[in-house]
Amino acid sequence: MIDWSAFLAVAIASLVAALSLVFLFSLGLRLLPSADAPSRARRIAATTCFVLCGLGVLFGIYLIVPALHQA
Amino acid sequence: MVALVIALALFFDFTNGFHDTANAMATPIATGALKPRTAVTIAAILNLVGAFLSTEVARTISGGLIREDDGIQITPELIFAGLIGAIVWNMITWLLGLPSSSSHALFGGLIGAAIVGLGVGSIDGSVLLSKIVLPALLAPFIAGVVAFLATKLAYALTRRAPQAQNGFKYGQIFTSSLVSLAHGTNDAQKTMGVITLTLIAAGFQSSGSGPAFWVIAICALAIALGTYMGGWRIIKTVGTGITDVTPVQGFSAEASTTAAILASSHLGFALSTTQVASGSVIGSGLGRDARAVRWRVAGRIAIAWLITLPAAALMAALAAVIAHLGPVGITIDALVGVGVILLIFLRSRRTAVTKETVRVPVIVDAHQNPDTQNTGAQNTDTQQTDTAFERQDPAR
Repeated sequence: MIDWSAFLAVAIASLVAALSLVFLFSLGLRLLPSADAPSRARRIAATTCFVLCGLGVLFGIYLIVPALHQA
Repeated sequence: MVALVIALALFFDFTNGFHDTANAMATPIATGALKPRTAVTIAAILNLVGAFLSTEVARTISGGLIREDDGIQITPELIFAGLIGAIVWNMITWLLGLPSSSSHALFGGLIGAAIVGLGVGSIDGSVLLSKIVLPALLAPFIAGVVAFLATKLAYALTRRAPQAQNGFKYGQIFTSSLVSLAHGTNDAQKTMGVITLTLIAAGFQSSGSGPAFWVIAICALAIALGTYMGGWRIIKTVGTGITDVTPVQGFSAEASTTAAILASSHLGFALSTTQVASGSVIGSGLGRDARAVRWRVAGRIAIAWLITLPAAALMAALAAVIAHLGPVGITIDALVGVGVILLIFLRSRRTAVTKETVRVPVIVDAHQNPDTQNTGAQNTDTQQTDTAFERQDPAR
């Protein structure tokens, strides 16, 4: 009747996607150098996190628009 | 008749727009990440863009739920009755500030009308259960659990980084925009599907063809306009009623909403945007502090979810019975429909909820600043929120 495997897939995919996004973004914010602890390495690490996050969002847009992945 | 149905369908699209602005924009408005007007403008534009991006849902809206194969034909009159039921229910829930699913209202309306016009046999019960009822129960649950964990994670990572708070506000702008875009690709299409179904039923368009460009364009405009009007009542409930949303929660909730909607629409297990969004907010509230969730409000929302489909179906069934009288019945339906909408609109003026009243004034965040929690200014602000909320909801 109900497609439990599809439901499970959606649940797991949501969980993984949301947690990765939140993890990367939070980590990026955490790593951002504050006024009392300036650091070049932290800035690079934080930027990497934000870029990965942005890629995730772009992938989301790619999934929304069928024209992009059906062509 | 066809013109009347199209006009009604567009009005439904419009109500859908202002009903669902809250899904994407309630939390960024509540935390002050976006100014209310800016938020609804972004949401409107992205809904407009989203509506043009995909027509997959529109093509499948009529298929499945109402059996068409056994020679049963749905008529424009029945679609008309279904839309009246859906619109009236959307207006009532908006007046009460309840984030109910516009899709459920639409499906409920069509089901109610079909039962009256074509008999109970015209409804595929298993499709109804597996595609609408069960997902409706599961959607807020999935979103809630995901948002709960996401909020915990975000707090754990940034607990000792007070500078991170503002960063989450920027993050919210992106996640909420993504929700808006996803909403546009989904919800405008339901109306396109209904209009296309009407055109096919009336013989203007061949069966099985997709929506015409002008249909896509007017549906996109109608939902964007509705979104721009901003359903402040529902935004208030989702953004400040369920729990006082902090930027961390807002970001986590929106990220969970986005993930759940994208996963569901991509993997073919349709979840209601509205239910996912509300579930996320409740989950993120639990993730910060279980006591911060106002279960009374959450309960009211849950009840609204349960009765949306049957209530819209009942009203549509009534409309369908009257419509059976012929042109006179249709006229009565139209007049009563317009009358109810006007009445609800006038009633709403008495307890206006505007963009000025939808923000959480000061974010009291126990995790971040336990020592600033009891300052006088914050207490005053919190009280103002409570009073404002009570004015809208006397029962509370």
